[in-house]
Amino acid sequence: MGRKAAAHSSSSSIDSSNHPDHHLPSPTASSSSSSLSRKINGNYCNSLSITRTDLSTDLRLGLSISTSHHSDLSSTSTPREQALINWPPIKSILRSTLAGRAADNRRHPSLFVKVYLEGIPIGRKLNLFDHDGYSALISSLCLMFKTTILCPENNHVHSDKYHVLTYEDQEGDWMLVGDVPWEIFLTTVKRLKITRADRC
Amino acid sequence: MPKRANSFPEEVLEYVFSFIQTDQDRSSISTVCKSWYEIERWCRRRIFIGNCYAVSPRMLIRRFPDVRSIELKGKPHFADFNLVPEGWGGYVYPWIAAMASAYPWLEEIKLKRMVVTDETLELIAKSFKNMKLLVLSSCEGFSTDGLAAIAANCRNLRELDLHESDVEDLSGHWLSHFPDTYTSLVSLNIACLGSELSFSALERLVARCPNLRSLRLNRSVPLDRLANLLRLAPRLTDLGTGAYSAEWRPDVFAILSRAISGCKELKSLSGFWDVVPSYLPAIYSICPGLTSLNLSYATIQSPALVKLVSQCPNLQRLWVLDYIEDVGLDALAESCKDLRELRVFPSDPFVVEPNVSLTEQGLISVSEGCPKLHSVLYFCRQMSNDALITIARNQPNFTCFRLCIIEPKIPDYLTLQPFDVGFGAIVENCKNLRRLSVSGLLTDQAFDYIGTYGKKLEMLSIAFAGDSDLGLHHILSGCDNLRKLEIRDCPFGDKALLANAAKLETMRSLWMSSCSVSYGACKLLGQRLPRLNVEVIDERGHPESRPENSPVEKLYIYRSVAGPRFDMPGFVWTMDEDSALRVT
Repeated sequence: MGRKAAAHSSSSSIDSSNHPDHHLPSPTASSSSSSLSRKINGNYCNSLSITRTDLSTDLRLGLSISTSHHSDLSSTSTPREQALINWPPIKSILRSTLAGRAADNRRHPSLFVKVYLEGIPIGRKLNLFDHDGYSALISSLCLMFKTTILCPENNHVHSDKYHVLTYEDQEGDWMLVGDVPWEIFLTTVKRLKITRADRC
Repeated sequence: MPKRANSFPEEVLEYVFSFIQTDQDRSSISTVCKSWYEIERWCRRRIFIGNCYAVSPRMLIRRFPDVRSIELKGKPHFADFNLVPEGWGGYVYPWIAAMASAYPWLEEIKLKRMVVTDETLELIAKSFKNMKLLVLSSCEGFSTDGLAAIAANCRNLRELDLHESDVEDLSGHWLSHFPDTYTSLVSLNIACLGSELSFSALERLVARCPNLRSLRLNRSVPLDRLANLLRLAPRLTDLGTGAYSAEWRPDVFAILSRAISGCKELKSLSGFWDVVPSYLPAIYSICPGLTSLNLSYATIQSPALVKLVSQCPNLQRLWVLDYIEDVGLDALAESCKDLRELRVFPSDPFVVEPNVSLTEQGLISVSEGCPKLHSVLYFCRQMSNDALITIARNQPNFTCFRLCIIEPKIPDYLTLQPFDVGFGAIVENCKNLRRLSVSGLLTDQAFDYIGTYGKKLEMLSIAFAGDSDLGLHHILSGCDNLRKLEIRDCPFGDKALLANAAKLETMRSLWMSSCSVSYGACKLLGQRLPRLNVEVIDERGHPESRPENSPVEKLYIYRSVAGPRFDMPGFVWTMDEDSALRVT
């Protein structure tokens, strides 16, 4: 509960700063979601228990997924850069074409997959390369879908209050996320689905 | 006294009204008198609704009982840049469901930034036997299964345009659902589809549709297939080439050149997604006839671009990446005296250092050399007030001027001053300016100029600019014809909005994200102005969980006669009289 209080006070200090440069972008669907680096203690996360660490790890326009890269950035980023989400104003079709080309140049890789919440036919898009592992991914999804997603290490809880994360692989099979190492997951995942824990 | 109005039989008035096409004129007629209102509403066939939440399907159908063509727009423009979270809204299904029974003779549906589902497409396919035109521009939510339903059932379809929509591409076989008896296709735009098409189905379709004039292929169509298609459709006026890529082979080149030169009526070219530059000369033969060229995805360097545009003396519209550089724009200014519209997109927008030599000089050249140029979208990395003043003087006829200096808040690179006087010159000289996007370092003074001179301005886009509420106040109080205002990351807050609240009812919509508008002010606006929907969009949870004076993430205000909508997701709240009482 101390964690919750810490999170709340840090977010209110962000709010009251009221300066566009300090705006903390929220992980919206198809934009590069903020890769707020966070550790998940305990068996589940929800939007209140996220600790917001160094603002400079905030994602700008596609970054590499290695954790070492994050620490490099924290020394070179400036507050101004944090606001550059979805800038410059080019349509996603051009953005992904250019990003695709840049990915060939190993500069701004992106891997967008659609994420569906059970019961809702319209999916949301997420850039998997914005996250450095399963923890980060699940945190992002918890925030995006306002639900509680159990982490893979947890013993399965059969309840309709919690969700689990599944993914469709290249063979078309639906698997529980977390079974394979993160890097391998990235090469096989096609799309994600958040289903109720009591269905698994 | 009513006698004079009724002295013409209804049929005569109807006939006269049929010559009056624009919405504004139609609106004017309907206000003359009650009987004209009645006659007009019975004979209005085309409807344009710029914001689908401004009015309800029921209201539309009640007033206009026999509509044949409908155009609807959903999400605000900034959705194009991912600023509107997915799930916000813009669902078209309720409209289609209502019109399915009310307008069985509906022929045209044009949607922009709306969520369309397969279910919706199936309903369209089933309900409107006379469907001729379906345009889904920047839409999402549907798959190729929905397209299969359209193909299978719409016997009278002439135009299917998926312009930049986000389609779940399950398979390329949907094309085979057009029956063998179907021959009416005039225009097909499937450039946005990701996966491989069924080429044989496509070729058979093109072969049996003699009226096909516009064909925009997707990236999967290889060059040799393209040549086949062109031979089957030599009367094309508009072609989207697909990838325009193949390993260099002289025989393929020869076949392609011949096929393209056979299309003597080609006026418009686009595509070129993965263009192999050595194949470009294949289009030279038709360049003299081209009026529109879209190279927005083409990695072609400046010399090849120069060679290309110098062969297009009749070009009216050019969309191109900044690979064209200043030298290419000089050539454009020399060769293309009929140029009306230019868009230059950034090839590498995510680095600070320029990767190409494109500066303010390029824009100066075209503004000087192209007397008919009236619409510009220009991404660049440096600009000066002098350049803007020169451009404004060269070309007072701009109707649309959108400048995006890639780095936010940078000043005039020569004087290190803000761009206030530069944009001031633009709005002062360009008296017909209807659309403006500003960028670079700007103080409230810039907005004073815009408010003072931008009297015809209808749409304004602002990012990372201004100092205080005064900036916003200048715009809201000065721009008499403002319809759409979209703002992001500016220090504009409550004061200007509350002081100009009434102005908001004269506009279609206002978007503000990452600004300083407080939740309290949003509530006030919602309470005070019942004919506005004041939507707070905030993914951090209910605004009630934060102090009243804390700024909302995003704010979307639009006028509506339909009242608050009921299809909002959990991160959108409408402020109204009850907003203070409402709990999540």
